[in-house]
This record gives sequence, structure tokens and C-alpha cells, in this order.
Amino acid sequence: MATRKISYREAINEALTQEMERDSSVIIMGEDVAGGAGGQGEDDAWGGVLGVTKGLYGKFPGRVLDTPITESGYIGAAVGAATRGLRPVAELMFIDFAGVCLDQIMNQAAKFRYMFGGKAVTPVTIRAMYGGGLRAAAQHSQALYPLFTHLPGLKVVVPSSPYEVKGLLAQSIRDDDPVIFFEHKAMYDVTGEVPQESYTIPFGEANVVREGDDVTVVAIGRMVSVAEEAAKELEGSGISIEIIDPRTLSPLDLDTILESVENTGRLVVVDEASPRCNIATDISAQVVSEAFGDLKAPVKMVSPPHVPVPFAGSLEDLYIPSAQDIVNAVKTVTEWSK
Amino acid sequence: MSEMRSHGPDPVPVVEGSAIGIIPNPMSGRDVRRIISQASVFPNAEKASMVLRILRTVGTLGVERVLLSTDTFGIAAGVQREIKRLSGARSSAHVRWPKVEFLTLERPTGTAADTTAFAETMAGRGSAAVVLLGGDGTMRAAVPGLGDTPMLALSTGTNNAFPVMIEATVAGIALGMIATGAAPEPTTHAKLLHVEVTRANGGVRHEAALVDVCVNTLGVLGSRALWKADSLRESYCTFAEPHSIGLTSIAGRLRPTGRDEPRGVAVRLDDPSVAAHTVLAPLAPGLLEWVGVLGSTELQLNVPHPVELDRGTIALDGEREVEFGPDDAVTVTLAQDGPRVIDVPTVLAASAHAWPTTTCVFA
Amino acid sequence: MTQTLSTLGSDAPDASALSEAQLLDVYRTMRSIRAFEDRVHEEFATGEIPGFVHLYAGEEASATGVCAHLDQDRDTIASTHRGHGHCIAKGVDIKPMMAEIFGKTTGSCRGKGGSMHIADLSKGMLGANGIVGGGPPLICGTALAAKIKGDGGVGVAFFGDGASNQGTTMEALNLASVWDLPAFFVAENNGYGEAAASTWSVSADNIADRAAGFGMPGVIVDGFDFFAVYEAAGEAIRRAREGGGPSLLEVKFTRYYGHFEGDQQTYRGKDEVRNARENLDCIKRFRQGVTESGRLTDAQLDEVDAQVAQLIEEAVTEAKAAPVPGPKDLLTDVYVKY
Repeated sequence: MATRKISYREAINEALTQEMERDSSVIIMGEDVAGGAGGQGEDDAWGGVLGVTKGLYGKFPGRVLDTPITESGYIGAAVGAATRGLRPVAELMFIDFAGVCLDQIMNQAAKFRYMFGGKAVTPVTIRAMYGGGLRAAAQHSQALYPLFTHLPGLKVVVPSSPYEVKGLLAQSIRDDDPVIFFEHKAMYDVTGEVPQESYTIPFGEANVVREGDDVTVVAIGRMVSVAEEAAKELEGSGISIEIIDPRTLSPLDLDTILESVENTGRLVVVDEASPRCNIATDISAQVVSEAFGDLKAPVKMVSPPHVPVPFAGSLEDLYIPSAQDIVNAVKTVTEWSK
Repeated sequence: MSEMRSHGPDPVPVVEGSAIGIIPNPMSGRDVRRIISQASVFPNAEKASMVLRILRTVGTLGVERVLLSTDTFGIAAGVQREIKRLSGARSSAHVRWPKVEFLTLERPTGTAADTTAFAETMAGRGSAAVVLLGGDGTMRAAVPGLGDTPMLALSTGTNNAFPVMIEATVAGIALGMIATGAAPEPTTHAKLLHVEVTRANGGVRHEAALVDVCVNTLGVLGSRALWKADSLRESYCTFAEPHSIGLTSIAGRLRPTGRDEPRGVAVRLDDPSVAAHTVLAPLAPGLLEWVGVLGSTELQLNVPHPVELDRGTIALDGEREVEFGPDDAVTVTLAQDGPRVIDVPTVLAASAHAWPTTTCVFA
Repeated sequence: MTQTLSTLGSDAPDASALSEAQLLDVYRTMRSIRAFEDRVHEEFATGEIPGFVHLYAGEEASATGVCAHLDQDRDTIASTHRGHGHCIAKGVDIKPMMAEIFGKTTGSCRGKGGSMHIADLSKGMLGANGIVGGGPPLICGTALAAKIKGDGGVGVAFFGDGASNQGTTMEALNLASVWDLPAFFVAENNGYGEAAASTWSVSADNIADRAAGFGMPGVIVDGFDFFAVYEAAGEAIRRAREGGGPSLLEVKFTRYYGHFEGDQQTYRGKDEVRNARENLDCIKRFRQGVTESGRLTDAQLDEVDAQVAQLIEEAVTEAKAAPVPGPKDLLTDVYVKY
């Protein structure tokens, strides 16, 4: 496939455009996904608060719906519409806003299929920004994917690059189950090689981003690129790490992780989510439970401290896991001896 | 330079034994016409505010006691809450609240019968007048309980012929003046339409309407309201004004008849798709419909008028209340035996000389 | 014997023009709900039924009067925890419903949902709902789907006086109005949200009064009178179907049983239920109305009673005899594909 360099933001826009062209049942809704509804100025003034959905309003009349600021209302509407043959893509803006619509996700969308004895299909995709780095403080910076991974019935997708975000979003929209799609807000301007034509990346298949022999490093979302930085630094110390991007946290491709740990014998999990009951603890526990015999050292988890995301840049930089934190963790497991 | 007064004039003295009754109907203003056209919605919170305005007004004019009906829909509760709040508020320290007695019924039914029972209690306990807040149906329900006690009919909505739209404060002034003896009570009685349904088994049902009786082809009482033009067959009206809304507007266009005239009007109607003559009439707010007309006649007092339709329902003041069939005999009779009704402009004009004023002499 | 009750659908005539067969159908629906609930009450008391059960007895005129106007294919309803009546009125099969309540594999949801989650999406029944206020946002979605597809479908949200105070309900009312959806909100005010009187909990006192704040008409009907509900609902549904937008109907009545089965109901007035059963009952009133006006005979109605009694008896016998779900059923029906 011919590729060219585009941004994470453009890759999302392209996936949405192509899926809407491909399937007329795909609709988009969210606060200001066009922007400017009811005002005296332009239609599609914003294209979402960060311009991700810009241009779609004009291309797909009647299928890009601005909503009032009413998360329970429109997330519920997206779920309801999904039960009636549409494939809604709802933009929750910041995943932190799940606090005001969680019921519609947790008790409705996630459970319909099981509660109704397998007779419901709810193909809704909920896109939301997550993560720190923009000095957006405690209510606009969380990495809440563990919350949704905890809930059976949901699929959880955390793409790590422009290529990943396009293919995974296309798959999310075509998927017949409810998907919570996490976009890192500090990555919208990150560029990368992305094919022009439409493609999908299957769920539950981890990506081995970099092969290595000494330590398996599982990194999630934006932490993948942070791990890549660490890998370069570790090269100088003669340590080779294998970086695995799970891509989807539910379903989770544990097999690829276990295979890697079988080779390396060491595991570091890098997770931007708060440290208690996060994906790092989950993967660590599963690996220890399944492959204790393969481990040459304790598993190390690199996560933020158990505090809300701070505002001041000096504090937020301390909060977010850094390449140095990963380097330190890798060295701890490689240097570990009983 | 004039000297500022340190306090206002003395309050109007309380007239011992003076009392009025207030019955706000919590259920009025909610029927299906709000979906069909754009009939107004009248929230109970606004009814509670109207009651409070009346209370403040009559209290200021020296009325000692007010009897207020209670309900389970929050009007009385809202009034009680506000009196408590306002009585303690500095900004209303000068307001003299009357003694408010919240009346309860031993056996409330949640129906129009409650209105009748409240009216009866208020009349029996010394109310110089009873003010009703509601629509035509509310007013009709009060009639059997009122006896000779005058009523003031205040409209809560735009869908009514009998009660008037007038600011509650002004209505309160008329009530206060009558209750304290500063204005005369009304002397004439309103007209009523009496409906008698004699069943095949000899049982007789008697109903009365203040405004109109409409015989129609609908087979069930349904949601009570009546707005379907093709179902209308016979319309009997105590009065019919060209500027009215609802079923009496038909007669109001064909044979205008005043509230005080000693006659009514009867109109025979038909499905507009077959009738030779049709008239456009506002059957509900926002709803102008073509109505088929066969003819209209004057309705004389005390002459029973047999209903011709053999099966259908009878709407009293706009609400379907009685189902009847071919075995039932139905008559409609106009009589001048309705309640005494307070006309606010008349009362205020007749009592202008008694309106409280003071004259201040400046030093 | 009729198992699935047929709704009259969008061709339902004016209340006075209901044919003999249609009146019998209406009566069969109300009688089926009553008989179903009375029987569940008995079976629960003897310990045969697991879990939480909330009964609809006394409220039959509402579900029946509203659903009579709905088509099974294009019209949708969302229900409440007190959902059996809505299910029956929307045409969900009675025998699988009973089996579901007993937790059997032959149940509507294969024993995985229970009383609070009976659903049949193929009949436009989006499920009873264990979350108070869960349904109204979903109905914005089904109504949106109908609007986008242009199939003339209407979404109906049944909710109680308790849910009328929930933010989800307010958001749904607002969104339905902003999006001009073919939606119909039916507030079933049975006087109690759990044990709290609605006269205490609903600040506006009439739920219908709130409609004005959302720019839609609000109407109150006597919930003990089938014809009153039928006529008002018919106008609201027609209005929505024709593009006239949403409206709200408040149905006032009382429930004959407690909040849940086992509720001692000491918060209720002494003669409240007895008075309603004796003087207001919707089935008694319907019978009296149609027999006195000569549209149906007691013999016809008695025959329906006998048929319904037999159906319920069979439903209970078959439910009791049906197998319970086994270990293999535990893990299925979570996802379409995982």
C-alpha cells in the first residue's frame, strides 16, 4: 500500500470519512463535532474541539449531528440508535466525561447482549481523548481505559500511532460490539506513514513494535513511543528490549505477551493509567499466573503515582511515565538477582 | 422642604368575621388539546402563586380568614411553604396575611367531587365568596356545593368560556371588598343547562353545565376533551360570544347571546363533509375547524329540549361526561338557577367610593 | 390460542371506532398482564421465583393504551424495572417471559436477564431496565434511527415518577426536543418512587408541567381509564409519526403491589389499594363500559378470561419444567465476536 505522512488527527478524520462513504448507516454525533449549531456564524466552525471531525458535516449531510452538552442524553441515544441498525460514532470529547454518562455505557450498552440472551447487537463506537501532557489538569487528563476494560461486553481500543489509529478506528466502526476508542490528546499532531486506502487492524492481535531479547516491555497508547525512546537509550547500555503494543485491552492478546516473556524472561509494563487496578497490574498478574516459570526477575510496572493528574507543568512532567522511568525499570529487572 | 414620614399609613383594619374561600384545581389545564393544538399549559406552581397573590391582597384589605382547599398535587403545599418563607422575610414584613385554614376532605376522591365538597364546606363556614381557579369543568363542579354563596371564576388557561382571565390581585381586591362589606354582592344568578338522562331501567342521571352541552357521536368518554368537528351533532349554550374559544364559538358566530340575556341558543350540527352549510370555528386554542351546521334556534328558559341523536356521548362544558344509547331518553333544559357570579369590573366600579385612601398633610 | 398479543399498530382507529375484535384484543392484553402479574405474585410468595420482581398490576391501561398504537417492526419502546406489562403489550411472547422470570433456558433471554431485563428487540422492545431513568436516552437513539431511516417509526420511553427526577430523563427530553425526534415520553406516575411519595419527590408536582420547560406539550390522563390513555397516546404518537415532534404524557394511577415483591408497604395509606381495586380498576371499568354500551358481552369477555387463565397456567407449568442454564451458557452471549 502506498503511504504518505499524515497526522494522527488526519488519520482519524480519514478513517471516519472512508467508513461513512463505505456504509451509510455510520453517523457521527457529539458536542460540536461540526460546531456552531444554531449560531450566526459558519456551520462546521470547529469540527470537534480539536478539529478531528472537520469537513465531515459538509460531506455527509444529515449524518454529522451536533449535540447539546448532554453526555447521558447523546451517549444513550448513540446506544439506542445502534440497536436499530445504525453504526453511530459518538465523540465523548474527554473520557473524563464518562462520569456523567457511565450508566449508558456500563449498564446499557455493555450488558444488552448478555442480559437479552444474545439477541442484541449494539455496534456503537465511543471515541474520547485521554491522557496527560497538555496541562489540562485532573478532570481532563485521565487515562481511564482500565475502568472500561473491567466491564464485560465492552471492547477497549488504545491506538499508539497514526497508522494504528486509522486501522483500529475502521475496525471499531465495523465491529458489532460496543467499542470505547481512546485517542491520546498529545498525539493529534504526531505524524507517521499511513496508507491512503482504507484498511482495518483486527482486535485482539498485539503488535510487536520492536523485537528484542532481554526484556519484554508492554506499553499502551502513547507509552509505546515513550518506550521506543527508552529502547534507543538502552541500546547504548547493550540492552535489547522487545516492545509490545497490545492495541486492544479488551480483547487482550495475552498469547503474544507470553510468547515474548518466554524468550526474554523479563517483563516491564508501561501504563499511563493510575497505578491501582490498571492494565499494568492486570497484565502483570496474568503473566505471573500463567508463566511464573519463565520469569527470571520480578515483573516491574511503570505507572504514574496514585494521585490525580496535576496542573503545573513541573508536576505533570513528574507524573507522566518517562523514557527514563522505563530505562530504570528495565535496568532493575535486568540487574535483578536473588 | 417636606418632612419624610417615619412610617406609612396605618393598615386597613381587619373586619371581624370576614372570610373568603379559594379552590385552585390542580388538575385543570392538562388535557389532550395540548398535543392536538397549542393549548396553554398552566403549571401548578403558577396556581400557587395566584393563590398567594389573592391571600396578600385580601389580607391587606382586612379580610380576617381564608379557607383554602388542599390537594395532593402541591398547590396547597406550595402556598404553605411560601407563607412560611415570606412571613419570616424582612421584605414582606408589612404584609398582613389573613388566617389561612387549610381544609382537608375526609374522603378525597381525586375527582371533580372534591371540588364540590370543598365548595360546600367553604359556603357552610362563612365564606362571603369562593374564588375558583381552573377551567369550565372546575367551575361546573363547584356549582352544586356553593348554594347561594357567590363565586368568582378565574381562568387558569386559554381554553375556557366561563371563567375570566384577570389578574389574581385584582380579583382579590373584588373579593376583599365584598368580604369586608365595602362592595355589594352580585344579585343575579347565572344560567345553567340541566341534562336529564333517563335510562331504560327507569334510572335518571342528572347533570348540569354552566356554558354548553354538546351531543356528539363519539362512543367513549376517552380523554374527555372534545375537538373533533365531524363528531359534533347538537350544541346547547347558556351564552355564546363571537370572541369565545371552544364549542360555544359556533353558536357565537350564528346567534350571539349574552351571559345576562334570559335565553340560550341551540345549534344542530353535522359532519362538515356532508353538511350544506359549514362554519369555521376555533374549537380549541390554535385549532380552527370547519363545522357542519343544520340550523340554530333560541333556547327558551325552562323548556325541556329532547336530544335527537340516538347514541354517543354528552360533553358538559367541553368534556365528555355521559355515554348514552338508543334506549336512553336525554333532555336539555335551560334555567336561570345557576350560581351568583362575581363580575370584577362591576364590583370595582360600584365600590370606587369605598377604596382605601389617605391624605397626608406635610409640615 | 393467542400467545403473542397483536398490537393494533399505526392503523389503530379512534377510541369510539374500535371494532369488536379490537376491543377484545385490548381486553385480552390487559387481562393477560393482570393474570401474569397476579400469578408471579403468588409464585414469588411461595419461593419459586428468584431475584427482584416489580409488578405492574393496576397499571395495565397505560401499557395497553399506548402500545395499541405501535407497530412491532418500526416502533420501539424502552421500559422500566416494572416492565412485564410493557413487554406483553408490545407483543413479547408470554410463555418465554414466564420462563425468563423462573430463570430457565427457554426464557426470553435464556435465563440470563430475569424479570428486570426481559427484552425482544425483534418486536421493538428494548428491554425492561434495572436502572431508573435508563430508558429515555436510549429512546432518543431509536427515534433518531427512525428519523434518519425515514421509516415513520416512533420511540416511546416509559418511565416512572422516580425516573422523572433523574438527569438522564431530563437530558432525553431536552435532546428529543432539540433534535425534533419522533419520540413520546410516557411518565407513569403510580404515586411512589420505591417508598417515597411522588407528591414529595416531584418538585413540580405534575410531571407533565415539566414538559413546557423542554418545549413540548405535556398532558395528564387518568391511568385507570383505558380509553383516556388510548386517545391521548394516539394523538401524541400520530403527532410524532407525522414529524410534529416529541410530547409527554403523564399517566396517573397507583400500583396494586409493593415496589418489589416482599415489600410490606407500610408507607401507604390503609385503604389506598383496596379503594383503587374496588372503585377505579381499569379492567373493571373497561368491562363495564363496553358491556353497558353493548359493544361486547360478558360471555365474550369471560371467554377471554378463561383463555388467558389457561395460557398463564401453561406458561407456569412449562416454565417450571424447563431446564436451567448450564455451565456452557455462562460464557456465551457476551460479545458478537471476541
